[in-house]
Amino acid sequence: MTKQHYVTIKGTKDGLVLRLDDKCAYSDMIAELRNKVSENSLEGLAEVKVHTGNRFCNEEELKEIMNVVHESPHLRVSKIQSEVITIEECNRKVLEKQSETYIGIVRSGQVVKADGDLVVIGDVNPNGRVVAAGSIYILGRLKGIAHAGATGNEEAVIAASWLEATHLMIADKLETMTDELTILSEQPEMECAYIHPNGFIAIDRLQELRILRPNLSTFKGGS
Amino acid sequence: MGEAIVITSGKGGVGKTTTSANLGTALALQGKKVCLVDTDIGLRNLDVILGLENRIIYDLVDVIAGRCKIHQALVKDKRFEDGLYLLPAAQTTDKNAVEPEQMKELITELKRDYDYILIDCPAGIEQGYKNAVAGADRAIVVTTPEISAVRDADRIIGLLEQEDIEPPKLIINRIKSRLVNSGDALDVNEITTHLSIDLLGIVLDDEKVISSSNKGEPVVMDPSNPAAIGYRNIARRILGESVPLMSLDEGKPGFFGKLKTLFAK
Repeated sequence: MTKQHYVTIKGTKDGLVLRLDDKCAYSDMIAELRNKVSENSLEGLAEVKVHTGNRFCNEEELKEIMNVVHESPHLRVSKIQSEVITIEECNRKVLEKQSETYIGIVRSGQVVKADGDLVVIGDVNPNGRVVAAGSIYILGRLKGIAHAGATGNEEAVIAASWLEATHLMIADKLETMTDELTILSEQPEMECAYIHPNGFIAIDRLQELRILRPNLSTFKGGS
Repeated sequence: MGEAIVITSGKGGVGKTTTSANLGTALALQGKKVCLVDTDIGLRNLDVILGLENRIIYDLVDVIAGRCKIHQALVKDKRFEDGLYLLPAAQTTDKNAVEPEQMKELITELKRDYDYILIDCPAGIEQGYKNAVAGADRAIVVTTPEISAVRDADRIIGLLEQEDIEPPKLIINRIKSRLVNSGDALDVNEITTHLSIDLLGIVLDDEKVISSSNKGEPVVMDPSNPAAIGYRNIARRILGESVPLMSLDEGKPGFFGKLKTLFAK
């Protein structure tokens, strides 16, 4: 009698892949996985990637899969991959990834907010405020208040053609731009603010941004 | 069909009322039929500057409450045949006695009979401001070369940009040419780049503005006064003429003056 295999182990050029069937019942799959990993055909310690295919597993189920694989002394899970995510997670990712554009001047008393990155084409005047969960890019003079990474992203930056802000905030760090502050440069043209490894907000030339935050660049391809 | 222009500033004391009185008078001098509307209910003074205080019988709130007809409340300026009228604000009630919708109706009615309706806005950004802006087609923002006035102008421009009216224009009032030339006050360029709206004109600071206001005669009646020239130029620009901006260099030696001093050595 030929039995359908719910769990297959394959060696690929990226290492071992543990493929879990996504059509069968979850309990059957777990049972077979337990059998499979306890087979004594393995030696040493190998890292495996787990593919759950089109099956959506919640946090608890993922934990269980990990635990079952780790019952074997020879296997370590390096990564769990899945073809599916919930709509909620998808929407959140879209919001975080997208960049919103505001054209105009952010005047005193006005607040411009974005769930992802924010591009302002125009000045931010004193007492004007721009807030973004991601980074803030300003094609104009930043003379007011900017808060990047408002939901806690410490990698976020604030870049402006002219950086002369009264207050800079990134994640939960705040810096007021007073005269005694040494990070303020003589020339406010083309600058960016970021969280320095020392935990404080630092200002540097815009050209340094690709070295400071290489992951901000999403551009693919080209020559 | 006339045009309604609101004159506003955010900050108090920068010269909204003086500007309203002088622009209204200047437009009337140009032969236009003008109605000034004072919306500073509770703290009216446009009537005083125009010297019309004694002739007020009904006011804005009376009109809105239906106690009289519009034409009964309008006060005519005797200096002009049929050119300048004032709808005075009420002094005894407060700004909450009027709703923006009612103001809109009133201004629409006035637009039928007048070429220009200038609305003098109270200071602040509350009810009074909302009433003043409700019926306007255009807005003029008045500021002075002081950082506090420019900040408030910025705020008010932000609010005006959310209204359904044309982009506001700027008047820089009370410019002291001596302070600007010495670099101690903000200069015209700095203010216009900061606010980034079109400049409608500048008015030089002059003692005559206060003394003539106290007499109830707007300074613009005197054609030789430097402040009056500023107001007259602005009125001509409102009418669509292109008038060059006046220079601030009065009192400083011009090109020939410099030559003279050179040869005198």
